[in-house]
Amino acid sequence: MSKPKIAIFEFTDCEGCEVEIVSLREKLLVLEKRVDIVNWRLGQENNQPGPYDVTIIEGTPITQDEVDRLKKLREESKVLIGLGACACLGGIPAIIDTKKRKEFYKKIYGEKYKPRGIDAMPLAAYVKVDFLIHGCPVNNQEVVRIISELLAGRTPQYRGYSVCFECKQAGNECRLLNKKPCLGPITQGGCNAVCISGGSPCYGCFGNREGAEVKNLLKILNKITDQKEIDRYFSMFLNRTKN
Amino acid sequence: MELIIEKKKIKEWLVVLGKDFKVVDTRKKVLPPKQYFFPVKEDLFSFDLKSKKLKTIDQSENILLLISSLNKLEAMTQLDEIMEKPQKDFFYWQKRDKSVLVGIVDESIKVPYGGDLVLEKINQKEYRTWVLNSKGRNLLKDKFFKKVLKPRTINYPSKPNIFKEKLLDSELLAEAVEWSWQSNHKIWNELAEKCLGCGICTYVCPLCHCFSMEDQVSLDNSKCFRCRQWDACTLPRFSQIAGGHNFHKTIKERYYNWYYHKFVRAYRQYGKAQCVACGACKDNCPAGIKIGEVLKEIVKDYKKR
Ligand code: SF4
Ligand code: SF4
Ligand code: SF4
Ligand code: SF4
Ligand code: SF4
Repeated sequence: MSKPKIAIFEFTDCEGCEVEIVSLREKLLVLEKRVDIVNWRLGQENNQPGPYDVTIIEGTPITQDEVDRLKKLREESKVLIGLGACACLGGIPAIIDTKKRKEFYKKIYGEKYKPRGIDAMPLAAYVKVDFLIHGCPVNNQEVVRIISELLAGRTPQYRGYSVCFECKQAGNECRLLNKKPCLGPITQGGCNAVCISGGSPCYGCFGNREGAEVKNLLKILNKITDQKEIDRYFSMFLNRTKN
Repeated sequence: MELIIEKKKIKEWLVVLGKDFKVVDTRKKVLPPKQYFFPVKEDLFSFDLKSKKLKTIDQSENILLLISSLNKLEAMTQLDEIMEKPQKDFFYWQKRDKSVLVGIVDESIKVPYGGDLVLEKINQKEYRTWVLNSKGRNLLKDKFFKKVLKPRTINYPSKPNIFKEKLLDSELLAEAVEWSWQSNHKIWNELAEKCLGCGICTYVCPLCHCFSMEDQVSLDNSKCFRCRQWDACTLPRFSQIAGGHNFHKTIKERYYNWYYHKFVRAYRQYGKAQCVACGACKDNCPAGIKIGEVLKEIVKDYKKR
Protein backbone atom coordinates (compact mmCIF):
# COMPACT_ATOMS: atom_id res chain seq x y z
CA MET A 1 0.00 0.00 0.00
CA SER A 2 1.46 3.35 -0.91
CA LYS A 3 1.84 5.90 1.82
CA PRO A 4 -0.90 8.50 2.19
CA LYS A 5 -0.06 11.86 0.68
CA ILE A 6 -0.26 14.76 3.06
CA ALA A 7 -0.14 18.45 2.24
CA ILE A 8 0.07 21.36 4.65
CA PHE A 9 -1.02 24.83 3.50
CA GLU A 10 -1.59 28.12 5.16
CA PHE A 11 -3.68 31.21 4.61
CA THR A 12 -3.66 34.33 6.75
CA ASP A 13 -2.27 33.62 10.19
CA CYS A 14 0.95 33.71 12.22
CA GLU A 15 2.18 30.18 11.32
CA GLY A 16 2.46 29.41 15.02
CA CYS A 17 0.50 26.19 14.62
CA GLU A 18 2.86 24.93 11.94
CA VAL A 19 5.72 25.72 14.30
CA GLU A 20 4.00 23.39 16.75
CA ILE A 21 4.16 20.67 14.09
CA VAL A 22 7.85 21.40 13.49
CA SER A 23 8.42 21.14 17.23
CA LEU A 24 7.33 17.50 17.12
CA ARG A 25 10.92 16.81 15.94
CA GLU A 26 11.63 13.03 16.34
CA LYS A 27 7.93 12.30 16.11
CA LEU A 28 7.86 14.06 12.77
CA LEU A 29 10.51 11.59 11.55
CA VAL A 30 8.39 8.67 12.80
CA LEU A 31 5.45 10.16 10.95
CA GLU A 32 7.47 10.54 7.73
CA LYS A 33 7.91 6.75 7.67
CA ARG A 34 4.16 6.31 7.39
CA VAL A 35 3.12 9.24 5.22
CA ASP A 36 4.51 11.28 2.37
CA ILE A 37 4.41 14.98 3.12
CA VAL A 38 4.25 16.01 -0.51
CA ASN A 39 3.59 19.70 -0.07
CA TRP A 40 4.65 21.86 2.84
CA ARG A 41 6.01 25.28 2.04
CA LEU A 42 7.26 25.92 5.56
CA GLY A 43 8.95 22.57 6.04
CA GLN A 44 10.54 21.58 2.73
CA GLU A 45 11.61 22.66 -0.77
CA ASN A 46 10.17 20.08 -3.16
CA ASN A 47 6.46 20.52 -3.29
CA GLN A 48 4.02 18.64 -5.49
CA PRO A 49 0.61 19.56 -6.83
CA GLY A 50 -2.54 17.65 -5.72
CA PRO A 51 -4.50 15.47 -5.37
CA TYR A 52 -3.81 14.76 -1.72
CA ASP A 53 -5.13 12.21 0.74
CA VAL A 54 -5.07 14.60 3.66
CA THR A 55 -4.76 18.35 3.46
CA ILE A 56 -4.10 20.30 6.60
CA ILE A 57 -4.90 23.99 6.45
CA GLU A 58 -3.70 26.60 8.84
CA GLY A 59 -5.08 30.13 8.79
CA THR A 60 -8.09 31.43 6.98
CA PRO A 61 -8.66 33.15 3.62
CA ILE A 62 -9.11 36.91 3.62
CA THR A 63 -9.18 37.59 -0.13
CA GLN A 64 -11.30 36.11 -2.89
CA ASP A 65 -8.16 34.57 -4.43
CA GLU A 66 -7.52 32.71 -1.25
CA VAL A 67 -11.12 31.53 -1.05
CA ASP A 68 -10.81 30.15 -4.59
CA ARG A 69 -7.58 28.40 -3.68
CA LEU A 70 -9.25 26.89 -0.63
CA LYS A 71 -12.11 25.57 -2.76
CA LYS A 72 -9.64 24.03 -5.17
CA LEU A 73 -7.78 22.36 -2.32
CA ARG A 74 -11.05 20.93 -1.09
CA GLU A 75 -11.68 19.39 -4.49
CA GLU A 76 -8.20 17.93 -4.53
CA SER A 77 -8.31 16.44 -1.04
CA LYS A 78 -9.96 13.35 0.36
CA VAL A 79 -9.75 14.64 3.91
CA LEU A 80 -9.47 18.31 4.81
CA ILE A 81 -8.43 19.34 8.28
CA GLY A 82 -8.38 22.78 9.85
CA LEU A 83 -5.33 23.53 11.98
CA GLY A 84 -5.60 26.07 14.75
CA ALA A 85 -8.07 28.73 15.84
CA CYS A 86 -7.73 30.86 12.68
CA ALA A 87 -8.77 27.97 10.45
CA CYS A 88 -11.31 26.53 12.87
CA LEU A 89 -12.93 29.66 14.28
CA GLY A 90 -11.69 32.64 12.28
CA GLY A 91 -9.28 33.20 15.13
CA ILE A 92 -7.16 36.30 15.52
CA PRO A 93 -7.94 37.74 12.05
CA ALA A 94 -11.63 37.65 12.97
CA ILE A 95 -11.20 39.86 16.03
CA ILE A 96 -11.43 42.96 13.86
CA ASP A 97 -14.43 45.17 14.29
CA THR A 98 -15.72 44.97 10.74
CA LYS A 99 -17.51 48.33 11.00
CA LYS A 100 -14.35 50.14 11.94
CA ARG A 101 -12.49 48.54 9.14
CA LYS A 102 -13.54 51.15 6.54
CA GLU A 103 -12.18 53.93 8.72
CA PHE A 104 -8.87 52.11 9.04
CA TYR A 105 -8.67 51.68 5.28
CA LYS A 106 -9.07 55.39 4.77
CA LYS A 107 -6.56 56.27 7.45
CA ILE A 108 -3.90 53.84 6.35
CA TYR A 109 -4.26 53.56 2.57
CA GLY A 110 -5.97 56.86 1.70
CA GLU A 111 -9.30 57.73 0.07
CA LYS A 112 -8.64 56.09 -3.29
CA TYR A 113 -7.84 52.63 -2.01
CA LYS A 114 -10.04 49.82 -3.31
CA PRO A 115 -10.30 47.22 -0.55
CA ARG A 116 -9.64 43.58 -1.50
CA GLY A 117 -9.93 42.07 1.94
CA ILE A 118 -12.96 40.15 3.11
CA ASP A 119 -13.92 39.32 6.67
CA ALA A 120 -12.05 36.46 8.22
CA MET A 121 -14.35 33.46 8.62
CA PRO A 122 -13.70 29.88 9.65
CA LEU A 123 -12.79 27.56 6.77
CA ALA A 124 -16.11 25.85 7.26
CA ALA A 125 -17.86 29.00 6.00
CA TYR A 126 -16.54 28.15 2.53
CA VAL A 127 -15.92 24.41 2.30
CA LYS A 128 -16.70 21.18 4.10
CA VAL A 129 -14.06 20.57 6.74
CA ASP A 130 -13.67 17.02 8.00
CA PHE A 131 -12.01 17.72 11.30
CA LEU A 132 -10.84 20.69 13.33
CA ILE A 133 -7.63 20.65 15.34
CA HIS A 134 -8.32 23.48 17.75
CA GLY A 135 -6.04 25.86 19.58
CA CYS A 136 -4.10 29.09 19.36
CA PRO A 137 -1.67 27.54 18.89
CA VAL A 138 -2.64 23.88 18.60
CA ASN A 139 -1.32 21.45 21.18
CA ASN A 140 1.13 19.26 19.28
CA GLN A 141 0.14 16.15 21.24
CA GLU A 142 -3.39 16.67 19.99
CA VAL A 143 -1.99 16.85 16.44
CA VAL A 144 -0.27 13.50 17.02
CA ARG A 145 -3.43 12.01 18.49
CA ILE A 146 -5.57 13.08 15.57
CA ILE A 147 -3.12 12.01 12.89
CA SER A 148 -2.63 8.64 14.64
CA GLU A 149 -6.38 8.17 14.64
CA LEU A 150 -6.65 8.92 10.95
CA LEU A 151 -3.77 6.60 10.11
CA ALA A 152 -5.41 3.84 12.14
CA GLY A 153 -8.45 4.26 9.91
CA ARG A 154 -10.63 5.72 12.63
CA THR A 155 -12.70 8.87 12.83
CA PRO A 156 -11.05 11.24 15.31
CA GLN A 157 -13.23 12.45 18.16
CA TYR A 158 -13.44 15.87 19.72
CA ARG A 159 -12.74 16.16 23.42
CA GLY A 160 -15.99 15.78 25.28
CA TYR A 161 -14.82 17.57 28.41
CA SER A 162 -14.11 21.19 29.33
CA VAL A 163 -10.84 22.99 29.98
CA CYS A 164 -11.88 22.79 33.66
CA PHE A 165 -10.99 19.09 33.69
CA GLU A 166 -7.39 19.83 32.88
CA CYS A 167 -7.42 22.92 35.05
CA LYS A 168 -8.33 20.83 38.10
CA GLN A 169 -5.58 18.36 37.21
CA ALA A 170 -3.13 21.23 37.12
CA GLY A 171 -4.28 22.14 40.63
CA ASN A 172 -5.21 25.71 39.74
CA GLU A 173 -7.49 27.82 41.86
CA CYS A 174 -10.69 28.49 40.00
CA ARG A 175 -10.81 31.97 38.52
CA LEU A 176 -14.60 32.12 38.50
CA LEU A 177 -14.69 31.32 42.21
CA ASN A 178 -12.22 34.16 42.70
CA LYS A 179 -14.55 36.46 40.74
CA LYS A 180 -12.32 36.60 37.68
CA PRO A 181 -13.73 35.82 34.23
CA CYS A 182 -12.90 32.55 32.49
CA LEU A 183 -14.35 30.72 29.50
CA GLY A 184 -12.98 27.34 30.59
CA PRO A 185 -16.32 25.68 31.37
CA ILE A 186 -17.71 26.18 27.85
CA THR A 187 -14.42 25.43 26.09
CA GLN A 188 -13.28 22.11 24.74
CA GLY A 189 -10.33 20.58 26.59
CA GLY A 190 -7.06 19.47 25.08
CA CYS A 191 -4.74 22.37 25.90
CA ASN A 192 -3.85 21.26 29.45
CA ALA A 193 -5.28 24.56 30.69
CA VAL A 194 -2.01 26.32 29.88
CA CYS A 195 -3.43 29.81 30.12
CA ILE A 196 -4.93 29.41 33.58
CA SER A 197 -1.79 27.69 34.86
CA GLY A 198 0.14 30.66 33.53
CA GLY A 199 -2.09 33.16 35.30
CA SER A 200 -4.32 34.15 32.37
CA PRO A 201 -7.97 33.45 31.72
CA CYS A 202 -9.24 30.98 29.17
CA TYR A 203 -10.47 32.90 26.10
CA GLY A 204 -11.84 29.78 24.48
CA CYS A 205 -9.35 29.22 21.68
CA PHE A 206 -10.21 25.49 21.57
CA GLY A 207 -13.75 26.40 20.57
CA ASN A 208 -17.02 25.66 22.31
CA ARG A 209 -17.31 22.24 23.81
CA GLU A 210 -20.20 20.10 22.60
CA GLY A 211 -23.23 21.03 24.70
CA ALA A 212 -21.56 24.15 26.11
CA GLU A 213 -23.79 25.93 28.62
CA VAL A 214 -23.00 29.40 27.34
CA LYS A 215 -26.11 31.05 28.76
CA ASN A 216 -25.42 29.78 32.22
CA LEU A 217 -21.82 30.96 32.07
CA LEU A 218 -23.00 34.41 30.97
CA LYS A 219 -25.13 34.65 34.09
CA ILE A 220 -22.03 34.14 36.20
CA LEU A 221 -19.88 36.49 34.13
CA ASN A 222 -22.53 39.19 34.44
CA LYS A 223 -22.15 39.07 38.18
CA ILE A 224 -18.38 39.34 37.98
CA THR A 225 -17.84 42.00 35.32
CA ASP A 226 -19.51 44.37 32.83
CA GLN A 227 -20.89 43.78 29.36
CA LYS A 228 -17.96 45.45 27.64
CA GLU A 229 -15.50 43.10 29.27
CA ILE A 230 -17.69 40.09 28.50
CA ASP A 231 -17.86 41.15 24.86
CA ARG A 232 -14.09 41.41 24.81
CA TYR A 233 -13.79 37.84 26.10
CA PHE A 234 -16.19 36.52 23.51
CA SER A 235 -14.57 38.44 20.67
CA MET A 236 -11.11 37.02 21.18
CA PHE A 237 -11.79 33.72 19.44
CA LEU A 238 -15.53 33.35 19.37
CA ASN A 239 -16.52 36.31 17.14
CA ARG A 240 -17.75 33.92 14.46
CA THR A 241 -19.28 31.39 16.84
CA LYS A 242 -23.02 31.64 17.31
CA ASN A 243 -23.61 31.75 21.03
CA MET B 1 -3.26 2.86 77.51
CA GLU B 2 -2.98 5.32 74.64
CA LEU B 3 -0.27 5.55 72.01
CA ILE B 4 0.84 9.14 71.62
CA ILE B 5 3.08 10.97 69.16
CA GLU B 6 4.30 14.49 69.65
CA LYS B 7 3.32 16.89 66.90
CA LYS B 8 6.90 17.96 66.30
CA LYS B 9 7.98 14.35 65.79
CA ILE B 10 5.50 13.59 63.01
CA LYS B 11 7.74 15.06 60.35
CA GLU B 12 10.71 12.97 61.43
CA TRP B 13 8.55 9.85 61.59
CA LEU B 14 7.40 10.47 58.03
CA VAL B 15 10.99 10.82 56.87
CA VAL B 16 11.71 7.36 58.28
CA LEU B 17 8.58 5.96 56.59
CA GLY B 18 9.79 7.59 53.41
CA LYS B 19 12.35 4.81 53.10
CA ASP B 20 9.61 2.27 52.52
CA PHE B 21 6.94 4.44 50.97
CA LYS B 22 6.44 7.29 48.63
CA VAL B 23 4.79 9.72 51.04
CA VAL B 24 2.17 11.93 49.43
CA ASP B 25 0.56 14.77 51.30
CA THR B 26 -2.97 15.05 49.90
CA ARG B 27 -4.08 17.64 52.40
CA LYS B 28 -3.99 20.64 50.07
CA LYS B 29 -4.87 18.85 46.85
CA VAL B 30 -8.05 19.75 44.98
CA LEU B 31 -8.47 16.28 43.53
CA PRO B 32 -9.36 13.65 46.12
CA PRO B 33 -7.32 10.61 47.23
CA LYS B 34 -9.06 8.40 44.65
CA GLN B 35 -6.68 9.82 42.03
CA TYR B 36 -3.80 7.66 43.30
CA PHE B 37 -5.63 4.39 42.71
CA PHE B 38 -7.93 5.43 39.93
CA PRO B 39 -5.77 7.95 38.07
CA VAL B 40 -7.31 10.74 36.04
CA LYS B 41 -5.92 9.07 32.95
CA GLU B 42 -4.13 5.74 32.73
CA ASP B 43 -3.03 3.24 30.15
CA LEU B 44 -4.40 -0.10 31.29
CA PHE B 45 -2.75 -2.38 28.79
CA SER B 46 -1.03 -2.37 25.47
CA PHE B 47 -1.16 -4.67 22.49
CA ASP B 48 2.00 -5.20 20.52
CA LEU B 49 1.38 -5.67 16.80
CA LYS B 50 4.53 -7.70 16.14
CA SER B 51 4.43 -10.11 19.08
CA LYS B 52 0.62 -10.08 19.19
CA LYS B 53 0.87 -9.89 22.97
CA LEU B 54 -1.16 -8.01 25.52
CA LYS B 55 0.73 -6.42 28.35
CA THR B 56 -0.83 -4.86 31.43
CA ILE B 57 0.90 -1.76 32.60
CA ASP B 58 1.71 -1.94 36.30
CA GLN B 59 2.04 1.55 37.73
CA SER B 60 1.69 0.55 41.34
CA GLU B 61 4.12 1.62 44.02
CA ASN B 62 4.26 1.59 47.80
CA ILE B 63 2.50 4.80 48.51
CA LEU B 64 1.50 6.40 51.79
CA LEU B 65 -1.21 9.03 51.67
CA LEU B 66 -1.64 11.67 54.33
CA ILE B 67 -5.28 12.63 54.60
CA SER B 68 -6.59 15.28 56.94
CA SER B 69 -10.32 14.95 56.58
CA LEU B 70 -12.39 12.29 58.30
CA ASN B 71 -14.89 12.50 55.49
CA LYS B 72 -12.24 11.72 52.90
CA LEU B 73 -11.03 8.76 54.95
CA GLU B 74 -14.56 7.49 55.16
CA ALA B 75 -14.96 8.00 51.42
CA MET B 76 -11.95 5.76 50.80
CA THR B 77 -13.60 2.94 52.76
CA GLN B 78 -16.69 3.37 50.66
CA LEU B 79 -14.79 3.61 47.39
CA ASP B 80 -12.98 0.36 48.25
CA GLU B 81 -16.37 -1.23 48.63
CA ILE B 82 -17.54 0.15 45.29
CA MET B 83 -14.39 -1.06 43.58
CA GLU B 84 -14.92 -4.54 44.98
CA LYS B 85 -18.52 -5.19 44.07
CA PRO B 86 -19.85 -6.73 41.92
CA GLN B 87 -16.39 -7.34 40.52
CA LYS B 88 -12.97 -6.37 41.77
CA ASP B 89 -11.54 -3.52 39.73
CA PHE B 90 -8.14 -5.05 38.98
CA PHE B 91 -6.41 -1.81 38.12
CA TYR B 92 -7.66 -0.01 41.21
CA TRP B 93 -6.63 -2.79 43.57
CA GLN B 94 -3.28 -3.24 41.90
CA LYS B 95 -2.41 0.16 43.31
CA ARG B 96 -4.64 0.23 46.35
CA ASP B 97 -3.21 -3.02 47.77
CA LYS B 98 0.23 -1.47 48.00
CA SER B 99 -0.92 1.70 49.69
CA VAL B 100 -1.42 2.84 53.26
CA LEU B 101 -3.73 5.62 54.35
CA VAL B 102 -2.72 7.76 57.28
CA GLY B 103 -5.13 10.27 58.72
CA ILE B 104 -3.77 13.33 60.50
CA VAL B 105 -6.91 14.85 61.90
CA ASP B 106 -7.20 18.08 63.86
CA GLU B 107 -10.61 17.41 65.32
CA SER B 108 -11.79 15.01 67.99
CA ILE B 109 -12.80 11.61 66.74
CA LYS B 110 -15.56 9.32 67.95
CA VAL B 111 -14.85 6.54 65.49
CA PRO B 112 -12.71 6.83 62.38
CA TYR B 113 -14.50 5.23 59.43
CA GLY B 114 -11.45 4.83 57.30
CA GLY B 115 -7.70 4.80 56.98
CA ASP B 116 -5.15 2.32 58.26
CA LEU B 117 -3.75 4.54 60.95
CA VAL B 118 -5.26 7.77 62.20
CA LEU B 119 -3.58 10.41 64.32
CA GLU B 120 -6.06 12.49 66.28
CA LYS B 121 -5.13 15.81 67.81
CA ILE B 122 -5.67 15.71 71.58
CA ASN B 123 -3.86 18.86 72.67
CA GLN B 124 -1.62 21.54 71.19
CA LYS B 125 1.39 19.28 71.27
CA GLU B 126 0.19 15.71 70.92
CA TYR B 127 -1.73 13.32 68.73
CA ARG B 128 -3.29 10.03 69.80
CA THR B 129 -3.19 7.03 67.44
CA TRP B 130 -6.04 4.94 66.18
CA VAL B 131 -4.72 1.71 64.72
CA LEU B 132 -7.31 0.25 62.38
CA ASN B 133 -5.49 -2.76 61.03
CA SER B 134 -2.12 -4.47 60.66
CA LYS B 135 -1.14 -2.18 57.79
CA GLY B 136 -1.49 0.70 60.19
CA ARG B 137 0.23 -1.13 63.02
CA ASN B 138 3.31 -1.73 60.90
CA LEU B 139 3.84 2.01 60.65
CA LEU B 140 4.30 2.45 64.39
CA LYS B 141 7.97 2.91 65.07
CA ASP B 142 8.78 2.74 68.78
CA LYS B 143 11.16 5.63 68.58
CA PHE B 144 8.37 8.10 67.88
CA PHE B 145 5.43 6.79 69.88
CA LYS B 146 5.02 6.48 73.61
CA LYS B 147 2.45 4.76 75.77
CA VAL B 148 0.55 7.06 78.10
CA LEU B 149 -2.12 5.96 80.55
CA LYS B 150 -4.25 9.10 80.58
CA PRO B 151 -3.02 11.75 78.18
CA ARG B 152 -4.17 15.33 78.52
CA THR B 153 -7.10 15.56 76.15
CA ILE B 154 -8.81 18.67 74.85
CA ASN B 155 -12.02 18.43 72.87
CA TYR B 156 -11.75 19.80 69.33
CA PRO B 157 -15.31 19.69 68.07
CA SER B 158 -15.90 19.27 64.36
CA LYS B 159 -17.83 21.91 62.48
CA PRO B 160 -21.55 21.17 62.59
CA ASN B 161 -22.65 19.56 59.35
CA ILE B 162 -26.42 19.24 58.98
CA PHE B 163 -25.97 17.69 55.56
CA LYS B 164 -24.01 14.85 57.16
CA GLU B 165 -26.92 14.11 59.47
CA LYS B 166 -29.29 13.98 56.50
CA LEU B 167 -27.19 11.22 55.00
CA LEU B 168 -27.95 8.97 57.94
CA ASP B 169 -31.42 8.39 56.54
CA SER B 170 -30.39 7.35 53.09
CA GLU B 171 -33.70 5.62 52.51
CA LEU B 172 -35.54 8.91 52.90
CA LEU B 173 -33.03 10.63 50.64
CA ALA B 174 -33.46 7.98 47.96
CA GLU B 175 -37.22 8.29 48.05
CA ALA B 176 -37.18 12.08 48.11
CA VAL B 177 -34.73 12.47 45.23
CA GLU B 178 -36.63 10.06 43.02
CA TRP B 179 -39.94 11.66 43.93
CA SER B 180 -38.59 15.12 43.08
CA TRP B 181 -37.83 14.01 39.53
CA GLN B 182 -41.01 12.08 38.97
CA SER B 183 -43.11 14.91 40.27
CA ASN B 184 -41.21 17.40 38.15
CA HIS B 185 -39.99 19.47 41.07
CA LYS B 186 -39.06 22.99 39.99
CA ILE B 187 -35.59 22.71 41.46
CA TRP B 188 -34.38 20.65 38.48
CA ASN B 189 -35.38 23.44 36.09
CA GLU B 190 -33.68 26.00 38.29
CA LEU B 191 -30.48 23.97 38.42
CA ALA B 192 -30.54 23.45 34.67
CA GLU B 193 -30.48 27.25 34.38
CA LYS B 194 -27.36 27.39 36.53
CA CYS B 195 -25.16 24.37 35.97
CA LEU B 196 -22.27 24.78 33.53
CA GLY B 197 -21.91 21.06 32.97
CA CYS B 198 -18.21 21.43 33.59
CA GLY B 199 -17.86 18.19 35.55
CA ILE B 200 -15.82 19.72 38.35
CA CYS B 201 -18.19 18.40 41.05
CA THR B 202 -17.53 14.87 39.86
CA TYR B 203 -13.78 15.29 39.59
CA VAL B 204 -13.44 16.64 43.12
CA CYS B 205 -15.90 14.16 44.63
CA PRO B 206 -14.01 11.49 46.57
CA LEU B 207 -16.63 8.92 45.57
CA CYS B 208 -17.45 9.52 41.91
CA HIS B 209 -15.78 6.81 39.94
CA CYS B 210 -17.00 6.96 36.37
CA PHE B 211 -14.64 6.62 33.48
CA SER B 212 -14.60 6.35 29.73
CA MET B 213 -12.35 4.17 27.61
CA GLU B 214 -10.20 5.33 24.77
CA ASP B 215 -8.04 3.21 22.49
CA GLN B 216 -4.97 4.78 21.04
CA VAL B 217 -2.58 3.60 18.37
CA SER B 218 1.01 4.71 18.66
CA LEU B 219 2.24 7.02 15.92
CA ASP B 220 4.59 4.33 14.54
CA ASN B 221 1.72 1.80 14.44
CA SER B 222 3.61 -0.72 16.59
CA LYS B 223 1.34 -0.66 19.62
CA CYS B 224 -2.19 0.00 20.67
CA PHE B 225 -3.12 1.22 24.13
CA ARG B 226 -6.33 1.02 26.06
CA CYS B 227 -6.64 4.05 28.22
CA ARG B 228 -9.28 4.95 30.75
CA GLN B 229 -9.93 8.41 32.02
CA TRP B 230 -12.37 10.06 34.38
CA ASP B 231 -15.75 10.88 32.99
CA ALA B 232 -18.62 12.78 34.55
CA CYS B 233 -22.34 12.27 34.19
CA THR B 234 -22.84 16.02 33.72
CA LEU B 235 -20.88 15.84 30.44
CA PRO B 236 -22.77 15.36 27.16
CA ARG B 237 -20.93 12.25 25.95
CA PHE B 238 -21.49 10.35 29.16
CA SER B 239 -24.74 8.76 28.14
CA GLN B 240 -24.14 8.67 24.43
CA ILE B 241 -24.05 5.28 22.78
CA ALA B 242 -22.92 3.92 19.43
CA GLY B 243 -24.83 5.53 16.60
CA GLY B 244 -25.00 8.79 18.47
CA HIS B 245 -28.14 8.29 20.55
CA ASN B 246 -27.96 10.14 23.84
CA PHE B 247 -30.04 9.09 26.82
CA HIS B 248 -29.49 12.42 28.56
CA LYS B 249 -29.89 15.14 25.98
CA THR B 250 -30.20 18.10 28.29
CA ILE B 251 -28.18 19.45 31.18
CA LYS B 252 -31.27 18.97 33.32
CA GLU B 253 -31.25 15.23 32.74
CA ARG B 254 -27.50 15.06 33.09
CA TYR B 255 -27.41 17.01 36.29
CA TYR B 256 -30.23 14.96 37.78
CA ASN B 257 -28.30 11.79 36.99
CA TRP B 258 -25.61 12.92 39.39
CA TYR B 259 -28.13 12.86 42.21
CA TYR B 260 -29.97 9.83 40.93
CA HIS B 261 -26.83 7.77 41.00
CA LYS B 262 -25.52 9.04 44.32
CA PHE B 263 -28.73 8.90 46.28
CA VAL B 264 -31.14 6.55 44.51
CA ARG B 265 -29.21 3.92 42.62
CA ALA B 266 -26.36 3.74 45.12
CA TYR B 267 -28.89 3.23 47.92
CA ARG B 268 -30.44 0.33 46.08
CA GLN B 269 -27.11 -1.22 45.19
CA TYR B 270 -25.09 -0.65 48.33
CA GLY B 271 -27.63 0.37 50.94
CA LYS B 272 -26.24 3.86 51.33
CA ALA B 273 -25.75 7.10 49.47
CA GLN B 274 -22.51 7.67 47.60
CA CYS B 275 -21.78 10.88 49.41
CA VAL B 276 -19.96 11.63 52.66
CA ALA B 277 -20.99 15.30 52.87
CA CYS B 278 -17.41 16.49 52.48
CA GLY B 279 -18.57 19.60 50.64
CA ALA B 280 -15.86 19.46 47.98
CA CYS B 281 -18.40 19.70 45.14
CA LYS B 282 -20.00 22.76 46.67
CA ASP B 283 -16.68 24.46 47.42
CA ASN B 284 -15.44 23.97 43.87
CA CYS B 285 -18.57 24.55 41.81
CA PRO B 286 -18.07 27.70 39.71
CA ALA B 287 -21.85 28.11 39.54
CA GLY B 288 -22.17 28.08 43.32
CA ILE B 289 -24.50 25.09 43.46
CA LYS B 290 -24.75 23.69 46.97
CA ILE B 291 -25.64 20.03 47.10
CA GLY B 292 -26.68 20.14 50.76
CA GLU B 293 -29.17 22.94 50.08
CA VAL B 294 -30.59 21.12 47.08
CA LEU B 295 -31.24 18.00 49.14
CA LYS B 296 -32.66 20.04 51.98
CA GLU B 297 -35.27 21.61 49.73
CA ILE B 298 -36.16 18.31 48.13
CA VAL B 299 -36.57 16.50 51.43
CA LYS B 300 -38.61 19.35 52.88
CA ASP B 301 -41.04 19.26 49.97
CA TYR B 302 -41.14 15.48 49.94
CA LYS B 303 -42.25 15.45 53.55
CA LYS B 304 -44.95 18.05 52.79
CA ARG B 305 -46.34 16.29 49.73
S1 SF4 C 1 -10.27 28.64 36.24
FE1 SF4 C 1 -11.53 28.48 34.43
S2 SF4 C 1 -10.90 26.58 33.47
FE2 SF4 C 1 -10.15 26.56 35.57
S3 SF4 C 1 -11.72 25.46 36.71
FE3 SF4 C 1 -12.17 27.65 36.88
S4 SF4 C 1 -13.59 28.06 35.21
FE4 SF4 C 1 -12.64 26.09 34.77
S1 SF4 D 1 -6.89 27.81 28.29
FE1 SF4 D 1 -8.45 28.45 26.81
S2 SF4 D 1 -7.48 30.11 25.66
FE2 SF4 D 1 -5.83 29.00 26.71
S3 SF4 D 1 -5.11 27.47 25.26
FE3 SF4 D 1 -6.69 26.50 26.50
S4 SF4 D 1 -8.58 26.78 25.33
FE4 SF4 D 1 -7.08 28.24 24.53
S1 SF4 E 1 -19.33 21.85 39.27
FE1 SF4 E 1 -21.21 23.00 39.37
S2 SF4 E 1 -21.43 23.92 37.35
FE2 SF4 E 1 -19.93 22.28 37.16
S3 SF4 E 1 -21.12 20.50 36.54
FE3 SF4 E 1 -20.96 20.45 38.76
S4 SF4 E 1 -22.81 21.47 39.48
FE4 SF4 E 1 -22.57 22.00 37.32
S1 SF4 F 1 -20.38 16.41 49.34
FE1 SF4 F 1 -20.14 16.43 47.13
S2 SF4 F 1 -18.00 15.97 46.79
FE2 SF4 F 1 -18.44 15.37 48.89
S3 SF4 F 1 -19.01 13.21 48.76
FE3 SF4 F 1 -20.91 14.37 48.61
S4 SF4 F 1 -21.23 14.61 46.42
FE4 SF4 F 1 -19.10 14.03 46.69
S1 SF4 G 1 -22.65 10.65 40.20
FE1 SF4 G 1 -22.28 10.54 38.04
S2 SF4 G 1 -20.07 10.70 37.78
FE2 SF4 G 1 -20.48 10.28 39.94
S3 SF4 G 1 -20.27 8.07 40.07
FE3 SF4 G 1 -22.40 8.52 39.71
S4 SF4 G 1 -22.75 8.44 37.53
FE4 SF4 G 1 -20.56 8.56 37.94
